[in-house]
Amino acid sequence: MVFETIIGLEIHVELATKSKIFCSCPTTFGSSPNENTCPVCTGMPGTLPVLNEEVVTLAVKAGTALSCEINRINKFDRKNYFYPDLPKAYQISQFDLPICSKGYVDVALGEKSKRINITRIHLEEDAGKLIHLEDEPISLVDYNRTGVPLIEIVTEPDLRSPEEAVAFLKTLKSILQYAEISDCKMEQGSLRCDANISIREIGTEVLNTRVEIKNLNSFKEVLKALEKEEKRQRELYQYKEEYKIQQETRKWDAAKGKTIPMRSKEESHDYRYFPEPDLKPVLIEEDFLKRAIENIPELPEERKRRIIQQHGVKEMQVDILIGQKELADYFEEVLSCGANPIEAANWITVDLLRVLKDIDISEEGVPIKANYLAKLIELVQTGKISRTAGKEIFDEMVRTDKSPEALVEEKGLSQISNTSELEKIAAEVLSQNLQAIEDYKNGKPQAIGYIMGQTMKATKGKANPQIVKEIIEEKLKKVQI
Amino acid sequence: MKITSEEIQYIAKLAKLDFTEEEAVVFAKEFDSILSHFDNLDREDYTNTDMRERENAISVFRDDEVQPFKDQEELFQNAKSKRESYLELPKIVE
Amino acid sequence: MKVEAMRIQDIQKGYKEKNFSAIEITKDYLDRARKFDGSIKAFISLNEDAALRDAEAIDARMLKGEEVGLLAGIPIAIKDNICTRGMKTTCASKMLEDFVPPYDATVVKKLKEAGAIIIGKTNMDEFAMGSSTENSAFTATKNPWDTTKVPGGSSGGSAAAVAAGFAPLAFGSDTGGSIRQPASFCGLVGLKPTYGLVSRYGLIAFGSSLDQIGPFTRTVEDCALSLQAIQGQDSMDTTSYKGKIEGQYVSELQEDIKGLRIGIPKEFFQAGLNPEIAKAMKDSMEVLEKMGAILEEFSLPIMDSALSAYYIISSAEASSNLARYDGVRYGYRSNSFEGINELIVNSRTEAFGKEVKRRIMMGTYVLSSGYYDAYYKKAMLLRSKIKDSFANAFESYDIILSPTSPILPFNIGEKLEDPLQMYLADIYTVSINIAGVPAISIPCGFSRSKLPIGLQFIGNHFSEKQLLKAAYSLEQQLGIHQVMPVLKEV
Ligand SMILES: [Mg+2]
Ligand SMILES: [Zn+2]
Repeated sequence: MVFETIIGLEIHVELATKSKIFCSCPTTFGSSPNENTCPVCTGMPGTLPVLNEEVVTLAVKAGTALSCEINRINKFDRKNYFYPDLPKAYQISQFDLPICSKGYVDVALGEKSKRINITRIHLEEDAGKLIHLEDEPISLVDYNRTGVPLIEIVTEPDLRSPEEAVAFLKTLKSILQYAEISDCKMEQGSLRCDANISIREIGTEVLNTRVEIKNLNSFKEVLKALEKEEKRQRELYQYKEEYKIQQETRKWDAAKGKTIPMRSKEESHDYRYFPEPDLKPVLIEEDFLKRAIENIPELPEERKRRIIQQHGVKEMQVDILIGQKELADYFEEVLSCGANPIEAANWITVDLLRVLKDIDISEEGVPIKANYLAKLIELVQTGKISRTAGKEIFDEMVRTDKSPEALVEEKGLSQISNTSELEKIAAEVLSQNLQAIEDYKNGKPQAIGYIMGQTMKATKGKANPQIVKEIIEEKLKKVQI
Repeated sequence: MKITSEEIQYIAKLAKLDFTEEEAVVFAKEFDSILSHFDNLDREDYTNTDMRERENAISVFRDDEVQPFKDQEELFQNAKSKRESYLELPKIVE
Repeated sequence: MKVEAMRIQDIQKGYKEKNFSAIEITKDYLDRARKFDGSIKAFISLNEDAALRDAEAIDARMLKGEEVGLLAGIPIAIKDNICTRGMKTTCASKMLEDFVPPYDATVVKKLKEAGAIIIGKTNMDEFAMGSSTENSAFTATKNPWDTTKVPGGSSGGSAAAVAAGFAPLAFGSDTGGSIRQPASFCGLVGLKPTYGLVSRYGLIAFGSSLDQIGPFTRTVEDCALSLQAIQGQDSMDTTSYKGKIEGQYVSELQEDIKGLRIGIPKEFFQAGLNPEIAKAMKDSMEVLEKMGAILEEFSLPIMDSALSAYYIISSAEASSNLARYDGVRYGYRSNSFEGINELIVNSRTEAFGKEVKRRIMMGTYVLSSGYYDAYYKKAMLLRSKIKDSFANAFESYDIILSPTSPILPFNIGEKLEDPLQMYLADIYTVSINIAGVPAISIPCGFSRSKLPIGLQFIGNHFSEKQLLKAAYSLEQQLGIHQVMPVLKEV
């Protein structure tokens, strides 16, 4: 029997608003504990929610960017459950009339593209944060995050492998970032992913018992956790022990590299949803919708087309550039500092990417200032320094804050392009390598390479190799005659 | 319809209340009489009735402006215990 | 004139003519409350020091001839489920026994701006659940007309405070009759405004889609003035009315009611209605007809099922609204627990009273999976139908008239053990909250045993002006609002 993996995702995304969804507290990350709280978001008796307009705008933008239908009448419901991070003991969410439904994302998988369907996007409020002390029987509560606006994006079970799930997430993240809906920082929790995974026999349409995995805080963990769970379930199917798979929620423990059951089994999931009486159903009027859609910033596909058209950069490189919005932004910033687009694309997709393996630019930003990279490109293009020297300076710029000019100066890397000076050095080298000249005369053209190498060595690599090559060829020709 | 005390205990669990078995039995009896009164809802015809989301929907929002509530001291004055500005609770085990 | 007999107008006139100061008036009311509240138990807490300070400040402003608000220097009592910053707000529950809100309800803010002086917080059924004010965790309030009887509920403390002459004005909340029924039991004017006319921000929620704050007064004119002070759109309450109410409630009171079409729903006058109340209704109807109103009987066949819809919707909302009382952030916390779940369960189990638990359980039940469609959803659909029924009725009538309660004030303890009997006492008031329309209860007579009887006028959405006008006309003709109960000191 051949099996396939069925994965569906639920993604919570914090919206990039200034204030919370139902009160005027700031949404700033990293404030001191409980600094961003008020009677409303701490669930004081008698308080009421008032909906933030920008939340609706951003959700409409998200829905549009993900090709969803916008539900012009949608409504809020209460999801009732007790937990100390939820001050009202209910979460204001959307149940049967979400703000968006039926969308999709086309995900590039190697050469092919696959359409992943989105069931719905709904609005809800975030909960607070609990900190469990290690050496005391105490938990601490911080309500700063309580009431931060979220959209929850629910996909159809269209994903067939952990890799697909990650590819989808990356595409989704980039769309949301491009549309400026969220900063999507997984490590700060502004993009969080829960995954439902099950196995079935290929050719069937059943949806077997699924396991929900929570607490996936990076793409790497999504991949690892899903691979682990996929392996566990597949093995059970292979040994015909699939009855051991229980519908349950498991929490991914990144440190231990395994999932652990989250809620005790007898705990009920009876959330008793009902319409939120404190908020009337939301009516999205025609001009509100139009305004929101018109103001969606350029999405990745559009940007790709434009960069190819405007700057003639190769498609493969553009794919890399737009893959991370920060990278595409950086590329265009370098161009605005006057750099040649083809050169800039090369530097970024080859040299910068090599460095970025260890740096998260969504967190730390690109380590080289755009105007510095533009300057470096100019220095190499005009022959002021050699390409080799350029790479050395590039690496140095990653480590320091110094300008390329200062580094050229400091390391004495400026290139000798002065012909008469190079002629003198070349003559010197030739006079010391008579054997090589002899070889050349005897029909061994590779001797040129040797002589060039010696000449570059004599200049400590500073010679402009193009000019050196011309001079040596000229001189050897003379010798032959 | 007869409500059992097991059902009462299940509802109590959802509501985070605790009842002794005797209390649950009394509740079950009271519920029975109240719920049988509620059965008069079934005598109505609902064919052309809906929840009126359409006519109640409005397009009135708050502007996305920050107005910090400054007195956190007063806000948490009813809290049992605090540690620095955190609320302190007995350990929550997941 | 003694304070207990004063209407708001009398006090205002006295201030204008400099017959007395706000300090004197406030002191008199406080003295009276201290003297007699031992036998009535209208208050949960008195606000003596702050009230006297506020009175002093108002006196200073009036002396300088400054512009003062609509209720300047008027001592008021507030139901203890309306948040008062820095002043305990308990909902008459052990759960919130020590709770001090960090903010003022919008209504409280408006009242303070209007110059009113808060003299105390009044007793109520715990979390406003009940019709007798016996469900208070602290004490049962007595009816000032007969202290063996209940004052009605859930705003029984506010009603008793005004009836006993502890304040000329008190505020309550009405989710299914909790202002009108105690007004009727205590011989007062009580108004439940149109849903959305008065902000709910700071009113500790019971049934969010039904709750409204309203006044208790001796007279319709006082009622109109008080409504003027508290009504209006509030950016903190999305369900508050966004339109504008033109004109003033007080100035239009005295227009006559000739040609006013009054509908008499026959279902409100059937079996179960106390004959003495039926008689008082008949007498009032005759008076109205004499004044030129056109009375007509019609059918509004929703009463029984409206009561079911009311208890289902209000309990469902309550089960969710009261979930926040978990002993975590504020409120009662049990002393014995192991782990967070026990903390929550034990705190709730120890701190909520029986009726509150019953409603939470009922609400949880009707929302739980498998029962939602049978109960909650049906109740919501019926709600749409009830709205339609009222809308239809108001195409033919300007106002609907009914008794406020089918029964007279009953004995303390009489209905405590039979929740369904207690619920049935709300049969004439709940459908008004379901429809969201306004209604006013005014005294229209007394039983042979000298217990007050109330009559209810129901109006279309935002027709408070017309409602007050009709109530005023009838009040002036009946002339019984002068009569007062006699209190005994204990
Ligand atoms: Mg969610
Ligand atoms: Zn807040």
